[in-house]
Amino acid sequence: MSTTIGRRAATDSPAPAKKQKQGQGGSIDRQRRKLLMPFVGPAFIFYTVLFIVPAIGAAWISLHVWAGSGPMKFVGLQNYARVFKDDLFLKSFGNTLLLLFVVGAAIFILAFAMTLVLRDMAGKKMVRNVIFFPHLINALVFGVLAGFIFNPGGMVNTLLKPLGITEPPAWLAQENIFPLIMATLVATTTGYFTTILMAGVDRIPPYFYEDCALAGATAFQRLRYVILPLTWDVFGTCAVLWTISSIKIFEIIWVFGGSSGAGIPPTQSWTTAVYTYVTAFSGQSTPAYGAATASAIISLALVSVLVVLLRRAMRRDAVEF
Amino acid sequence: MSTKSRIARTLAVLAGASLAMTACGGGTENPQAAQEGSTLTYWSMWKEGEPQQKVIAGAIADFEKETGATVKVQWQGRSNVQKLVPALNTNNVPDIVDGPYAKLAPVIGDTGQALPLTDAYAAEVDGKKVSELIPAKYVEVSNIKDADGKPWMLPYSLSSDGIWYDAAKHPGLETAPPASWDDFIKALETFKAEGKVPLAADGDIAGYNSMWFTTALVRTDGTGAFAKVAADKSGAAWDAPSVLAAAKKVEQIAQGDYLVKGYNASKWPAQQQVWANGGAELLLNGSWIPTETSTYAAEGFKFSSFPFPPVSGQPKTVRADFVGWAIPKKAESPKLAQKLATFMLGKKYQDAYGTDAKVLPIRTDAATAPEIASVKKALDSADGVYLQNDGVTAPGYVEKILWPINDELFLGKIKAEEFVAKMKAAQIGYWKDNS
Repeated sequence: MSTTIGRRAATDSPAPAKKQKQGQGGSIDRQRRKLLMPFVGPAFIFYTVLFIVPAIGAAWISLHVWAGSGPMKFVGLQNYARVFKDDLFLKSFGNTLLLLFVVGAAIFILAFAMTLVLRDMAGKKMVRNVIFFPHLINALVFGVLAGFIFNPGGMVNTLLKPLGITEPPAWLAQENIFPLIMATLVATTTGYFTTILMAGVDRIPPYFYEDCALAGATAFQRLRYVILPLTWDVFGTCAVLWTISSIKIFEIIWVFGGSSGAGIPPTQSWTTAVYTYVTAFSGQSTPAYGAATASAIISLALVSVLVVLLRRAMRRDAVEF
Repeated sequence: MSTKSRIARTLAVLAGASLAMTACGGGTENPQAAQEGSTLTYWSMWKEGEPQQKVIAGAIADFEKETGATVKVQWQGRSNVQKLVPALNTNNVPDIVDGPYAKLAPVIGDTGQALPLTDAYAAEVDGKKVSELIPAKYVEVSNIKDADGKPWMLPYSLSSDGIWYDAAKHPGLETAPPASWDDFIKALETFKAEGKVPLAADGDIAGYNSMWFTTALVRTDGTGAFAKVAADKSGAAWDAPSVLAAAKKVEQIAQGDYLVKGYNASKWPAQQQVWANGGAELLLNGSWIPTETSTYAAEGFKFSSFPFPPVSGQPKTVRADFVGWAIPKKAESPKLAQKLATFMLGKKYQDAYGTDAKVLPIRTDAATAPEIASVKKALDSADGVYLQNDGVTAPGYVEKILWPINDELFLGKIKAEEFVAKMKAAQIGYWKDNS
């Protein structure tokens, strides 16, 4: 405490002298400028070294054929052309988009619905914790659990047997794995976004709802004219968060399908992140770092474009309240 | 120009490092000031607690006692070779790594980053030259020689495969294993008639599924047959009748109702567990199966195996993949690393490898556990050997072409003709993009 005061006194003392010359605004500006380097500098250096330089390096690698070590062969944009022509990449890309849009839509519809229900519910704090809980669990756990639950001799089929179902669906068949992953992601992520949205909804002063009640607004009208406009910025942030994280989804796919250490997931459930990883680190064949980085750069470009578009689409004048 | 390329190279290194996010862990261990002859860094593919790890750890302890050297081991697990890739672009490389040939070759062998192990091969272990301890027939298929013809890998064990069964239940298979494909099918039919499940398979492991096709083809057309088909840029090799015949065999297995129910929709190791518990009779899998399934095998289970059914008139071949050591060219203590490698080839440790870890030691004079005696016998008496995926390592070919399409065949979604047509088309596209 005393040091804080001391420091403030020290910075304050030269101020009156400057005040005389330039006025207060200039002094604060100068102080700010002085603080810019020490505060922003380290973060900027770390960010540049750890993110920007590797990203530029990756862009450079993507122009080569390279096994990760040894000689590099420059091939220009060939890797990009190759990746775009690869049906598997297009399928992986399609899966990434499915996660982004279909899972995203499901998550936000559910999250909004839950927000509305939870707002007036008794014991909402407890419920909020319960639905948030799955988000705390590592995706690996769900991947391993999937085996226990859905294996031919697993929990679901054992429970179905007494009900007379002796020919249950092939839950973990290759074509069913991706829908299962999508369902798992909805179940684990909805609680997270519900929590964030609820924080936004809780900010809305109660007299708006009283107004609604007096005006005889339905629940939908209340959502449309009060809750949505007043939580729009929160929703926009959530949408950006989901966009960024959905494009990076990797581990749940890796452990859900065929893997647990002995193999790689079936191509039906690959995303661009998995495609990139297998291309670079499959362990079964010569690494293709050029193609892998090309696919990674394409993902990066995709995220950037989508985030810019989202920000633009979601842009509204902030409602002050 | 030179600065430009230097910057570019630095960027590449950084990017490579960032691509392999997990790789950062080990690099700093290797102190710059280390003296040649005193300290070693070893990245192992084994994890703490695995039987193989215990044998190697014991050997290292003896080595340290004998030489006074310090070996810093990192038990990294199976991703150690992937982690090696970005490290090779820096000066912080391990002095010695171990891994299977199929993983080491594309990363360190083919790229010219491995040290020729001339000293190690010339050294003597238990009164014999190291080069004599490694049977020539294995070296023939595993191209462990660098551009100058010097070996860069020192193998310490082998992985192989076979069709596994419980010899306590089926002593007949031990004395008279199926001598042909028809014999094999007959055996499956007999099991079926007895109301048993003839075959187990973890259909989610594409590498296990593809063993059926590649082995069937190698049986009829010899070692390297699949590699030749895969390398054909025109795809015409897929039109050969023997290729279709091999695919037909897989189709027969997939559609003949021999496989355990749900093999196409389960998660490894569910089905090998079913097999080890007596829920199915046979399992095509690797020589690691006794180690992997012993914890949950039924009581009195006696592991035994016979080779994939042979074709009469063809030489007797068995799969044999090297697991061994390699030393990066940039290693700081290459001499000591080679010394360690040869030390660990001592009979004592090779015996422990065979009897404690229950895998196949490279030395033919080493003892082996009864569980893998059948594979060992097959290997020792084989005329020749072939590699996993028949040695195909072209970037992405196995994961993106062979496995997905072969899965469709083995999981019963397509017929043999469709498999051949799909493979041919995919391969033509592959080589158009990759040549």
